[in-house]
Amino acid sequence: MALIPLSYNLRSLIVRWPSTILTVLGIAATVAVLVGVMALQQGFTALFRAQGRDDVAVFLRQGATNEGDSAFTRERAMILMKTVPEIAEDEAGRRLVSAECYLAVRRNKTGGGGETNVPVRGVMPMSFVIFGRDITFSQGRNFTPGTDEVIIGAKLAERIEGARLGEVLQFNTTPFRVVGIFEHDGPFSSEIWGDHDRISEALERPVYNRVIAKLNDETDWPELVRRMDQDPQVPSKLLTEREYLTSQTSAFSFVLSALGVFLAVIMGIAAVFTATNTMLTAIAARTIEIGILLSMGFRPHAVFLGFMLEALLLGIMGGIVGALIVLPLNGIQTGAMNFQTFTEVAFAFRVTPQILFGAIVFAALLGILGGAIPAWRAARMRPTEAMRRG
Amino acid sequence: MAEAALIQLKDLTKTYTRGGETLRVLDQLALTMERGGFYALMGPSGSGKTTRLNLIGGIDRADHGEIRIGGIDLAHLNNAELARWRAASVGFVFQGFNLMPVLTALENVELQLLLTDLTRAQRREHASYALELVGLADRMHHKPGQLSGGQEKRVAIARAIVTDPTLILADEPTGDLDRKSAQAVLELLTKLNRELGKTILMVTHDPAAAEVARTIVHLDKGRLGRIETRSPAGAGG
Amino acid sequence: MPPFRLVWKNLLRHRTRALLTAASLAVAIFLLCVLRSLLVVLESGIKASASNRLIVQSSVSLFVYLPESYEAKLERIEGVERVVRWNWFGGYYQEPKNFFAQFATDVEDLFEVYPEIELVEGSQEDFFGDRRACVIGSEMARKFNMRVGDTMPVIGGLFPRTDGQPWDFRIAGIYHSVKPNVDNNTLFFHADFLQKALESGAANGPEGVGIFVLRLEPGADRVRVAETVDALFAGGPQRTQTTTEAEFQAQFVSMVGNVPFFVGSIGGGVLIAILLATLNTMLMAAREQTRDIGVLKALGFRDGTVFGLMLGQSMLLTGVGGMGGLLIALSSERFFAQLLGTAFPGYHIAAETVVEAVIATLLIGVLAGIVPALRARKLSVLTALRSVG
Repeated sequence: MALIPLSYNLRSLIVRWPSTILTVLGIAATVAVLVGVMALQQGFTALFRAQGRDDVAVFLRQGATNEGDSAFTRERAMILMKTVPEIAEDEAGRRLVSAECYLAVRRNKTGGGGETNVPVRGVMPMSFVIFGRDITFSQGRNFTPGTDEVIIGAKLAERIEGARLGEVLQFNTTPFRVVGIFEHDGPFSSEIWGDHDRISEALERPVYNRVIAKLNDETDWPELVRRMDQDPQVPSKLLTEREYLTSQTSAFSFVLSALGVFLAVIMGIAAVFTATNTMLTAIAARTIEIGILLSMGFRPHAVFLGFMLEALLLGIMGGIVGALIVLPLNGIQTGAMNFQTFTEVAFAFRVTPQILFGAIVFAALLGILGGAIPAWRAARMRPTEAMRRG
Repeated sequence: MAEAALIQLKDLTKTYTRGGETLRVLDQLALTMERGGFYALMGPSGSGKTTRLNLIGGIDRADHGEIRIGGIDLAHLNNAELARWRAASVGFVFQGFNLMPVLTALENVELQLLLTDLTRAQRREHASYALELVGLADRMHHKPGQLSGGQEKRVAIARAIVTDPTLILADEPTGDLDRKSAQAVLELLTKLNRELGKTILMVTHDPAAAEVARTIVHLDKGRLGRIETRSPAGAGG
Repeated sequence: MPPFRLVWKNLLRHRTRALLTAASLAVAIFLLCVLRSLLVVLESGIKASASNRLIVQSSVSLFVYLPESYEAKLERIEGVERVVRWNWFGGYYQEPKNFFAQFATDVEDLFEVYPEIELVEGSQEDFFGDRRACVIGSEMARKFNMRVGDTMPVIGGLFPRTDGQPWDFRIAGIYHSVKPNVDNNTLFFHADFLQKALESGAANGPEGVGIFVLRLEPGADRVRVAETVDALFAGGPQRTQTTTEAEFQAQFVSMVGNVPFFVGSIGGGVLIAILLATLNTMLMAAREQTRDIGVLKALGFRDGTVFGLMLGQSMLLTGVGGMGGLLIALSSERFFAQLLGTAFPGYHIAAETVVEAVIATLLIGVLAGIVPALRARKLSVLTALRSVG
C-alpha cells in the first residue's frame, strides 16, 4: 500500500504553525499538570516505601495504625523486649531491640509560615545499632544518652525555627540543645531524635509508642505475627518496617493517584477536543489537496493513516514539551502532610523515567483520539467533490 | 456642466511596494465623470483599474492628488467619516463572491441597512424590494452556497443598491460567470443606469461587458488612454 | 454594536468546532470549580469561627493532653463564662475506613457555647439524662442510615475497651450545624462516661483533656484572657497555647502546608491549557472570516463593529462553555459531597466560587477574542478583500 510521505504531514504542521503551537502547548499543559501530580506522589511514596527495611520488625499496640495511636506501658514494653525469643543478638550478646516514644510537636516554620507538626522520637542507643549505616551525621555528633541533647534530621533543620546546630529547642518546659544534624534517605530525616527517657520526661509521656527489633534470620514471620496477636501478656501487632512505612503512605498516595486520574480524564477530554478542532480545520483547509491525493490513486486508508500520523505527531510533541516543562521540578524539596500521624514530611519531587514515558504515551493517545474523527472524515471524501468544494 | 460632474479626479498618484519593488499603479491621473453615466474602465492587468475603483469607493487612499465626489473631497474625511460616507453614498459589487456565507440572501442585503436608522420592518421591506428588483424574489431565504454564481452576483448587486446610492462601483461583475449569467448581470446594470439613473462605474477586461457601457475609459500603466463615448441608443440596440 | 445574528451564525458555521471548544471550556471550568471548592472547604472553618470563643490547647503538641484540674482554674479566670472539654475519641464504625470524628464533651455546656448546633431530632433532656447517649450529625445519620433510638457501635481506636467490644452509644438526637466550623459528621457524647470507663478499668487510653473551649463574657478582652490563661500554666505541668477559634482552625490549614499551592498550580495549568485551546479556535475563525471582515468594512461598517464581531464570537463561545461548566459543577455538587464524604466534609460550590468561575470565563473570552478582534480592527479592506476565504 502506498503511504503518503511523512514530510507532507510534517510540512503542513509547520505551515500552520500558530495552530500547531497552540495545540501542542495545550496538550503540554495537560501533561505537565499530570506529571507534576505523579512526581509528587512518586517522591512521597519513594521516601517511605523504598527506605523501609524488611529485616526490622515493628511492634505496635493491637488496633493501632501508626505510632501516634500505639502505646505500651513501660512494664509491657519491657516484657515484650525481654521475652520474644526471635529477637537477634549481636556479637556482644546484646539483644537488638529498642523501644521508642513518638510525638508530633508544634513548631514554627522558618520564614513565618505558621505552625507545623514535627515528629519527636525518643530512642534508646540500640536504635542506632539496628538502623546502622542508614543514619549518618553531616554536622556535629550524636546525642549523649541521659542528657538534654537532640539531633535533627537534615531536611528538617532548615524548615523549622531553632533547629540548627548549637540552637536550643524547648519541649514544654525543658530546653534541649541541638548537637548534631543527621542524614537518612527515609522519613527520619524530617524528625527530631533524643534520649528516650529525657524526651518522655520533658513531654510527660511515660509511654513507649513502638518497639523495634532485628529478628533472627530463620524467624517464621507469619507464625510470629499470629503469636504476637494472641499473646496473653502483651498482645501486639507485628509488621516489617517496610510494611509499616508503606501503610503510612497509602492514604495520601491514594489521594494523589485519584487526583491524577481525575485530572487526566477531565483535562484529557479538553485536550482531545482541541486536537480534534485543529485537525478538522487542517483538513478543511486541505480539501483540495485531499482530492488531489485521492484522484492520484492514494487509497482512503492511506489518507486516514497520514492524518492520524499528523495528529500523533501533535500529541507526541505536546507530551515532550509538557515533560520538559515539569522536568526542572525533579529534586525540588517540598513538604506534605502524613495524614496518619498528622506530621509534615519533607521530600523531593521525583520525575522518574517511567513517569516521563507514561506522559508521552498519554499525550500520544490524546493526539490519536483527537485525530481519529477528522482523519476518518478526510478518508471518506470523494475526490471530485473534494476538489470542487475547495 | 459643473453640476453634471459627479466624480472629479486630479493628479491622482498611487504607488505600491510589492516584494521590494515599487509599482506606480496610478500616475498623475485626471478624469471627470458625469452623474448618470455608465462607465467601463478597461485595461490589461496591473493597469490600475481596481486601484482607481477602490480610491473612488473610499476603501483606499491616494498618495497624491484629489478625489472629489459629489463635491466632497475624500482626502479630508477620516476613516470613520469615510466609512459613513461609503455606507450612504456608494454601492459596491466586489470582485468574486463577497456575500456572508452564513447569512441568507435577504439577510445579506439587509446587512447594509444595519448602518441606517431604518426599523427592522423597514429593513426587511427595502431588502425584499431590492431582491425583487434583481429578480430573486423566490430565492430570498437561500444561503449563498445554495445559489448559482449569477444569482450570487445579483444578490451582491441588490445589496449595492439597497441604500439607494447615487454611485455603484462594480469590479469585474461578470468575471466568474458563464455567458448566460454574465448577460443577465449586464442587463441588470443597464436597467439600473437607465431606469433608476444610477451612476455606474465598472472595471472589466471583458469586451462584451464594456459594450453595454456608454463611456469606455482605457487605462495603460497608470495613465489615461483613449476614451470612447458611445451613443445611448447603441447600448440598448 | 456588531450585528448579533452574524456573531452566532459565524460560530455555527463550524458547529463541531464550536461545540468542541465550548465543551472543553465547560470541563475546564467544571474542574476549576471543583478544585476551588476543595480549597474553600479547607478555609471555611476559619471564616465561620465565633469571636467570643477561645481554645486552650497544649503548647507542645496537638496530641498532648491537659490535666483535668485545669478546668476549675479556667472557670475562675475573669471574663470566662463557660468552659467545655473536648476530647478526641479517635474511633471508627465497623472498619477503619468508616472514620469520622467523635468527641467526648460536656454535653450541656456544648449547646450553650455552640448555638450553631441545633437538634433537629430527639431532645436535649433525653441526651443529658442518659450517660450512654450520644448525638450525631445530620450528614452522618444519612450516610449510615441511623435514626434516633438506634445504637451506634464505635470501635475505640485510641480508647480500646478491655473486653474487646465496641462502645455502644444510644442515639438520643440528630443535630445540624448551620455554620461550617462544626461539621455535620461528628458524634458527641458525655465526657464523664469516658472518664468513668477509664477509671473503672473498662477501657484504656490517655487521660486528660484534649482542648478546653472557653466562652467569654460579653465585652471581655480576648487578648487579655488568652494571656492570663497562658501565664497561669507557664510553669507547667503542661504549658498552654490559647488562641481564638479562627487561629485554632487556621493551624490545621497551615499544617496542610503546600496543598493550596499545589491546587493553585493545577488550576493555573488548566486555565492556560483552555485559554490556548480557545485562542486556537478564535484564530481559526478569524482566518476564515478575513474576507467577510473586508466586505463589512467596505460596506461602511466601522472598525469597532468588526472588533465587536470577533470579540462577540469569543465571548459567546466561552460564555456558553463557562455556563455549561458551572452547571456541571453545580449539578455534581451532591455527588462530590458524597464521594469525599467524611474525609472532606462540607464540600459545596460557594457563591464566591461561582463568581470566580464567571470571572475566569470572561477573562478567557476576552483574552482569546482580543487578538483576532484587534487584528480584524486593524485589517485593511484591501488586504482582507484580496485574501482567499
